[in-house]
Amino acid sequence: MITAGLADALRSIVGPRWVKQRPAELTAYDSDALPGYRATPSFVVLPASRDEVIAVVRLLAQHGVPFVPRGAGTGLSGGALANDAVIIGLNRLTRIHAIDAGNRIAHVEPGVVNAVLQREVAPFGLQYAPDPSSQSACTIGGNVAENAGGPHCLKYGVTLNHVAAVTVCLPNGELVQFGDPASERDGYDLCGLFIGSEGCFGIATDVWVRLLPVAPAVRTLLADFPSLTDAARAVSAIIATGIVPAALEMMDQATIRAVEASIYAAGYPTDVAAVLLAEVDGLEAGLDADARTIERCCREAGARDVRIARTDGDRARLWQGRKKAFGALGRIAPHLVVQDAVVPRTRLPDVLETIAAIGARHGVAVCNVFHAGDGNIHPNISYDASDHAQAERVHAAMSEIMQACIDAGGTITGEHGVGLDKLGYMDALFTEPSLAAMCAVREVFDPDRRANPGKVVPVHACREWGGRR
Amino acid sequence: MSAPASPSDLAARIADAHARRAPLRIRGAGTWLDAGRPCAGDPLDIGALAGIVEYTPGDLTITARAGTSLRELDRVTAAEGQWLGLDPAGAPEGTIGATVATASDGPLAIAFGRVRDLVLGLECITGTGEVTRVGGRVVKNVAGFDLVRLHTGAWGTLGVISEVTLRLRARPEVDRAFVVTGDERASLESRLAPLTDLPLAPLALELLDPALSAALGLARGTCLLVRLGGNAERVDAQQRALGALGDVREVDTAVFMRLAADEPSDALVARVSHERTRVAETFRHVLEFCGTHAQWEPLVRASLSRGLVRVVLPISSTRDDVAAANVDWPSFVRTIAPPGAHVSWERLPAEAWPHVPCAVADTISTGLRDALDPARVLNAGLLGEPARRADAVPRADARRVLA
Ligand SMILES: Cc1cc2nc3c(=O)[nH]c(=O)nc-3n(C[C@H](O)[C@H](O)[C@H](O)COP(=O)(O)OP(=O)(O)OC[C@H]3O[C@@H](n4cnc5c(N)ncnc54)[C@H](O)[C@@H]3O)c2cc1C
Repeated sequence: MITAGLADALRSIVGPRWVKQRPAELTAYDSDALPGYRATPSFVVLPASRDEVIAVVRLLAQHGVPFVPRGAGTGLSGGALANDAVIIGLNRLTRIHAIDAGNRIAHVEPGVVNAVLQREVAPFGLQYAPDPSSQSACTIGGNVAENAGGPHCLKYGVTLNHVAAVTVCLPNGELVQFGDPASERDGYDLCGLFIGSEGCFGIATDVWVRLLPVAPAVRTLLADFPSLTDAARAVSAIIATGIVPAALEMMDQATIRAVEASIYAAGYPTDVAAVLLAEVDGLEAGLDADARTIERCCREAGARDVRIARTDGDRARLWQGRKKAFGALGRIAPHLVVQDAVVPRTRLPDVLETIAAIGARHGVAVCNVFHAGDGNIHPNISYDASDHAQAERVHAAMSEIMQACIDAGGTITGEHGVGLDKLGYMDALFTEPSLAAMCAVREVFDPDRRANPGKVVPVHACREWGGRR
Repeated sequence: MSAPASPSDLAARIADAHARRAPLRIRGAGTWLDAGRPCAGDPLDIGALAGIVEYTPGDLTITARAGTSLRELDRVTAAEGQWLGLDPAGAPEGTIGATVATASDGPLAIAFGRVRDLVLGLECITGTGEVTRVGGRVVKNVAGFDLVRLHTGAWGTLGVISEVTLRLRARPEVDRAFVVTGDERASLESRLAPLTDLPLAPLALELLDPALSAALGLARGTCLLVRLGGNAERVDAQQRALGALGDVREVDTAVFMRLAADEPSDALVARVSHERTRVAETFRHVLEFCGTHAQWEPLVRASLSRGLVRVVLPISSTRDDVAAANVDWPSFVRTIAPPGAHVSWERLPAEAWPHVPCAVADTISTGLRDALDPARVLNAGLLGEPARRADAVPRADARRVLA
């Protein structure tokens, strides 16, 4: 139960300034950048250290109060929203405890912003590979909880592939470590299991991330296509050569136009149906040959033009358009739903056509900017959420798009997580026993179901398992 | 009893075993049943559940029944110019289900990732006989809790894997192997020092001790076995770069198959893992340790950038020579690794296992076992798990590491 006494007790742990309770203060925490979902937390607690996190979680456990961990609140799936629960904000845990350049590992607190970590490891010639488009804001803790990816995970992999260990404050306040920063161990892969658990298994208080040397050389190409289908065919052709591009990103015309009309204009041609941004990196030797192969694949698939960035400035500009595409799209209309789904690469052309048809049928404008190499699509719709009829149509179109992705053998989320937004599709994607197994696993970490309750797995799926045993 | 021919047969068998509280011993091809702790139970054969379920080369993913052999996967994907990029020790008859269950990888892991990085989805039958499907068939997927990672490396104790979807790679345009030898009198550290700055991105880079080098007919002393892949220009440039490490000689890439398959099947095997910067130290420690058991002629190799040393002591774990050697097992299992390193045992004599700490004795691991195999019928005892959750120990790790 949430009582005034509890708030006082929390204040005595974190200091009076760091318990937010006034409605005006709470609005900053009522969304996670996903339009259409808002929830106001009972209050927000902002601990400053691992010990304070533990003390807060223990106290909440004693009072039986549910909580929602929160990083930067950029999750886009409703995962960091709290209804009748306390938000534990991790933004004050921003220390980088250690950077071990020799062993290529950094020990960080969960509130460290992804881009800050990138900046701090750069002087060592190292990088942290996962680079979500939201990297200037999102936190490493949020990345771990969502198993975040980014444009460069085509070659380098997602958060799962780059985290060696975490310490976790379990919902009962116990501190445990999963994985090991210094060695590979046997036993269950609890670190792997924790990654992507969306705040339901506890709070990550320490993360040991693996670092990689910055690639010595890089080539960035931009190809433009008369149709989305041609661009998708180029993607398949490139992948089939055996080259693993560092990134292979696609933007359609609506996105290109939004970008070019914004302050992020990158010099993309606005009269084409799609552009493909391809990057190869690694050793200098042989890189030009790879770039030429990619160019050839694009031309054979129907590209009108392929250009290669000549300078670092060129390259940064080409990327800026991609990285700021969401921002540019956000300026077109009051609201933007950024969707996230994955389809097998070979299904991209027909799924993109299906999506366009769904959009047309519902009278909504879908635009696409996505990680084409992974088949990870982001169909986005700009709209005005205050127009109820329009919001209804957007919702209906999105549901059909999700179903189309499932039907194509894909999945409902490649990087944003299930949160609240995708809960309704979990039954279509997983069988009842599979969901029940997920619930059973969750209960091991959180038997009282107080950590981010109501997210990820539909509650009805959890009752079944209990009955069966 | 006959081998289950379908996942539903398999599920029925497990449900029945669960109801009767009768332990099952899960077997794939049966090439590696002597790995892990002693484990008894009615044999549950997955071997009949074999074959490719779905393979779309353009997606670079493949779905296969768990009993499919690595050899078969290699054959099917090679026809499309692709491969799995997974080369664990052992015979190619080994099954993909067992490879995933035991998270077994090999030298290629430094380029393509470990098993946990390659598995996209699983069909898995829980200890109560429920057929679950987790993950999926696409290369990126965060829908639901990641039970794929949980089952990978769980040795079948949380569920029996019946189907696996994996990420594939295109085979490199050029794929060549090289042996690098150097001055045997120089320290390992100084011989390996140039590696830090060389423009190399190898598919595999293994350090072999003199015994293993000789067994494979590669060199007389310690050598580096390197696999380079990519376009011709990239491979040529790297080959030249190798010159900084010593004398470079090309060998057939088949040597990597032999490295995996020729490992004596009757041997004590351990993996010793430590920080990558300490790999030379770890390697030397292991060799010195083995020197004290010289009668067993150890074979040792290291995946350098992983800091991982693999030790094979060709000695029967069952024959009399173990008894004859009169080994002090508590000390043996502890001192093979230098302080701070972690040792994972694959094969040991039965009498040694009680001295190896159990890796799943903590409350979370025990809880997971209770959740997915409450009657403890799946490979019971294989991981040395406590019989009841009440006997679990708290995960005390966190404070120690942070201190
Ligand atoms: C414009 C834009 C672009 C994006 N691009 C990408 C992209 O390219 N790739 C990608 O993967 N994602 C992308 N995202 C989604 C999002 O940024 C990522 O999922 C990110 O990892 C979320 O981090 P956060 O700190 O904002 O987490 P939050 O939104 O605060 O939280 C997300 C979830 O994590 C939990 N959580 C947070 N911190 C912790 C912790 N320490 N311990 C346990 N649980 C915790 C929360 O409870 C919640 O369930 C994008 C979002 C936006 C708005």
